[in-house]
Amino acid sequence: MPEHPTRPFRLGVAGPVGTGKSTVLATLCRELSAELSMAVVTNDIYTDEDARLLRAAEVLPVERIKAVETGACPHTAIRDDITANLLAVEDLESTFAPLELVVVESGGDNLTATFSPGLVDAQIFCLDVAGGGDVARKGGPGIERADLLLINKTDLAPYVEVDVDRMVSDAVAVRDGFPVLALSRNDPASIVRLSDWVRQVVAGYRAGRHVAHDPGPMAPHTHAHP
Amino acid sequence: MPAELGALLLADGRLPTGGHAHSGGLEPALAAGAGPDDVPRYLEARLRTVGLVEATAAVLTLRRCRTAGADVDEVQVALRARMPSAPARTASELLGRGLARLARRLWPEHPAVAALDSLGAPPLRPVALGVVGAAVGMSDAQVARASLYDDAQTVAAAALKLLPVDPTDATRWLLDAGPTLEEIVARALTCTGPDTMPATTAPLVEQYSLDHASRSRRIFVA
Ligand SMILES: Nc1nc2c(ncn2[C@@H]2O[C@H](COP(=O)(O)OP(=O)(O)OP(=O)(O)O)[C@@H](O)[C@H]2O)c(=O)[nH]1
Ligand SMILES: [Mg+2]
Repeated sequence: MPEHPTRPFRLGVAGPVGTGKSTVLATLCRELSAELSMAVVTNDIYTDEDARLLRAAEVLPVERIKAVETGACPHTAIRDDITANLLAVEDLESTFAPLELVVVESGGDNLTATFSPGLVDAQIFCLDVAGGGDVARKGGPGIERADLLLINKTDLAPYVEVDVDRMVSDAVAVRDGFPVLALSRNDPASIVRLSDWVRQVVAGYRAGRHVAHDPGPMAPHTHAHP
Repeated sequence: MPAELGALLLADGRLPTGGHAHSGGLEPALAAGAGPDDVPRYLEARLRTVGLVEATAAVLTLRRCRTAGADVDEVQVALRARMPSAPARTASELLGRGLARLARRLWPEHPAVAALDSLGAPPLRPVALGVVGAAVGMSDAQVARASLYDDAQTVAAAALKLLPVDPTDATRWLLDAGPTLEEIVARALTCTGPDTMPATTAPLVEQYSLDHASRSRRIFVA
């Protein structure tokens, strides 16, 4: 059982390019910043676009939004060498102490990119319907074992000929009990479900009940002894 | 820890200190018009200017760390005075903090590592490097070489992302820079204190670093 934590809860949001990660961050800030003291870190690949998007959305005071450059290696910055992200998170934590929730957005990357357990306590993996209905079935560490999988932009499903229910049930089938959430920024009920999920993991963390687990880059496997 | 292993660690780009997001000023140099053929001369120019200054600062830090209660701050102040570009100082601080972060986790009891906290500002990369060198028992020459090699390898590795370069050719650049690098190692070792630290600068590199800081489209921190 983990001890009662002394630092804020750190939540990662990863997933392929353009699936709506920054929008999810904006949504979480809008929904939760009145009840939780928050800050965010973005990892941009080529610009500070994401940080600017969030600053422009005016969902959080601009000083609480930090952009980290990743040298064209977004997956390295969240997994193999998390130094730049840790420095940014720690700076925010000391400047705005006591923070309660820090959200780190990964630069858009491929399906195998997941956060190091050294950087975040839990992670959301974000897919969208526009990437194709079969992506969830393809699996991968984030899809299969992130703490929460989002199937985002469900409002677009009719235009891209994707059956959301089918995509969600494909995801449920590969996730071995981990939750899946269909989300759209135009669907208030889905936003409530997302916010509630975050509230619940933050509360669990504070109570010392949260058990961090690593989706890993590899599927967990066992070797049968002959 | 054997000093040889420490030297290898510090030269390894896989050491988690945040170095992969830096280009040693190459990205803005290319934006200012340099091309693949200019990279070897760029490497050489850095080694002879900022490279020499930084290697010297790393060696001076290391030497002071060997005597208890020695003043590393004096080296840091002398080095800051030789880095007129604010973005270049910030980039160096990020790398220095990365090294310091690692050192605090790995060698929290080492007096030199503990002394990092008494610095007024985040340690610049060469100062943090000297401290880590002390923690792993490296020699003066090893630390000077690690400082110069890291700088050159940062540029060469970034070139692979920024330019149409065969990775083997980038490796050759480093080997070709070897004699210069050893010459600068020897020069760094001759310095006796912060007051006689070299102050060779590279004004164009400084100008590029300022240009880079105000750009909104870039891949590397600096
Ligand atoms: N229709 C629809 N569009 C959305 C939704 N969420 C985000 N978008 C749009 O999708 C595009 C990408 O959204 P972002 O939030 O920037 O995605 P991202 O994953 O942060 O992108 P990168 O950081 O570049 O990988 C933008 O044009 C958003 O407006 C949604 O729920 N519905
Ligand atoms: Mg984004």
